[in-house]
Amino acid sequence: MRSDALTKIYDGKTVVDHISFEIPKGKVVSFIGPNGAGKSTVIGMLSRLIARDGGTAEFEGKDVAKWKSGELAKRLAILTQTNNIQMKLTVWELVAFGRFPYSGSHLTERDNQAVRQAIEYMELTDLTDSFIDELSGGQRQRAYIAMVIAQDTEYVLLDEPTNNLDIYHASNMMKIIRRLCDELGKTVILVLHEINYAAFYSDVICAFVDGKIAAFGSVKEVMNPTTLSAIYGVDFEMIEVNGKPLSIYY
Amino acid sequence: MTASKAASHRQGVTAARRCGESEGASSLSGSISDSISGSISASVGRSSARKIAVMSLLALIAAAAYMLVSVNPKFAAYAFKLRAPKLITILITAFAIGGATVVFQTVINNNIVTPCLLGMNALYTMVHTMIVFFFNTGSVAFANRNVSFAVDLVVMSFASMIIYGWLFKKTKYNVLYVLLVGTVLANFFGSMQSTMVRVMDPNEYDALLVTLVASFSKVNADIITFALALMAVVIFALRKELALLNVITLGKEQAINLGVDYDATIRRLLLGVTIFITIATALVGPISFLGLIIANLSRQLFKTYRHAYLIAGSALFGMIALVAGQTVVEHVFVYSVPVSVFVTVGGGVYFLFLLMRRKAV
Repeated sequence: MRSDALTKIYDGKTVVDHISFEIPKGKVVSFIGPNGAGKSTVIGMLSRLIARDGGTAEFEGKDVAKWKSGELAKRLAILTQTNNIQMKLTVWELVAFGRFPYSGSHLTERDNQAVRQAIEYMELTDLTDSFIDELSGGQRQRAYIAMVIAQDTEYVLLDEPTNNLDIYHASNMMKIIRRLCDELGKTVILVLHEINYAAFYSDVICAFVDGKIAAFGSVKEVMNPTTLSAIYGVDFEMIEVNGKPLSIYY
Repeated sequence: MTASKAASHRQGVTAARRCGESEGASSLSGSISDSISGSISASVGRSSARKIAVMSLLALIAAAAYMLVSVNPKFAAYAFKLRAPKLITILITAFAIGGATVVFQTVINNNIVTPCLLGMNALYTMVHTMIVFFFNTGSVAFANRNVSFAVDLVVMSFASMIIYGWLFKKTKYNVLYVLLVGTVLANFFGSMQSTMVRVMDPNEYDALLVTLVASFSKVNADIITFALALMAVVIFALRKELALLNVITLGKEQAINLGVDYDATIRRLLLGVTIFITIATALVGPISFLGLIIANLSRQLFKTYRHAYLIAGSALFGMIALVAGQTVVEHVFVYSVPVSVFVTVGGGVYFLFLLMRRKAV
């Protein structure tokens, strides 16, 4: 997946400014940066949720806009934070929607198998028949991830998956994301606010400032006091835990 | 950040806050649902089918009652000839309004809206008044029922497609804006209408007023056939989009993620809703407030995202309510109170109930 001179303008204000990058396959790639830097907009444009105002976003050599939406849905999944469902829906029914790109509303035995596996993988088997709106925030987030797993895509895009989760659920979510990459071989692209999660759990970090890429590289390359200070405008100190750089800021 | 994005963000935040508070309660309900685990999803389909069967039976009983109550056996054939077109009109209207409202609510992703709140009833009243105002009651466009129906249908279809198509596009399907502008439009149409009425000849106004009250008795076989054919065409043209309704329930972003061509689908579905409401309104007059009641009753009864059940349930509720209501109107009140009065009173109370309940949740 790559983009070239990707641009988005809202009301005359350039939110994403000619961004070009290439996402390496089979890695966890974190987008970090201050509020309003354009991270979520970039992920929206990569996943065809947001129309772009310029540049290209290519997926497997073909422009995202040229892909048939249904075909792209089998290769790329996106999960955002605006999931409010009006309907009474059980965990099983939600996860089963992940099979929609393959079988529409009529699930085959193979689809049911995939749904069951996804629910087991997210350890939601006990909650299979619970209604989504009766789950806790962490459980609900896991149910949505299970849906993405059932969708069985090579690429998974997540917009602030740890948003609104407490430390326990957030770090669990990051471990799950790591497993999606390590065990299921998916490429995961996510927007994160907590830079230490990005440092600890991802392979590649892409830092945005004012709609431009401020730094792009491996965790070690990006996570140093000079780069981070330039991005966030705050003083940083670095320590090392389990061979990974972690930042301290206050 | 655009306004709509800000609004959806706010919703997300409050939803998250709410779920944070209910963490303790949800683990309890989780364990309860564990104990009945497995039984639910298997039985949902069966119990929904049973509910549909019971409702169909009730609708049949209501229809039979409507046809048979106080029929003089000697003149049975004559009575049936009078009553059958009315019954069919009621059934068509219930289906059109019930189905269109469910689809509209799903598309707008809000269960307390109805196409009526957009001012479609007021639009009908205005269009109808305009015809009398410009051509007077003796003209073919008013006096001939078939022509009058066709004129209502054509003018309203075009007007609503232009007005609402533009409105939806401009507000990016933002419910709050759409409803706000809809309310203003309803007032605007109402003012236009009352302006015309003020300068109208009183006799003309008298003839007009009769047609502005919802009634099932102004329909004939030609109109019924035409309305049915038109509805069949619309359903056929939208069969693919209708199959996507369940996925659209998940919201715009999830629907796109699952491969739905969202904007085009929504546009076509809203067009279908407009045509259906137009048909129902042109058939019987302003009655689409009924949709709010029956669509929500259906959602409450079936508690599912499956639109086959929701739409069928909504239509059946409408049929039962209207047929039973019309029977009562004809035989208990002897036409002194039109059925639309009940619809408006009942609908208003139910709408308040829905609003209050939502706030409490």
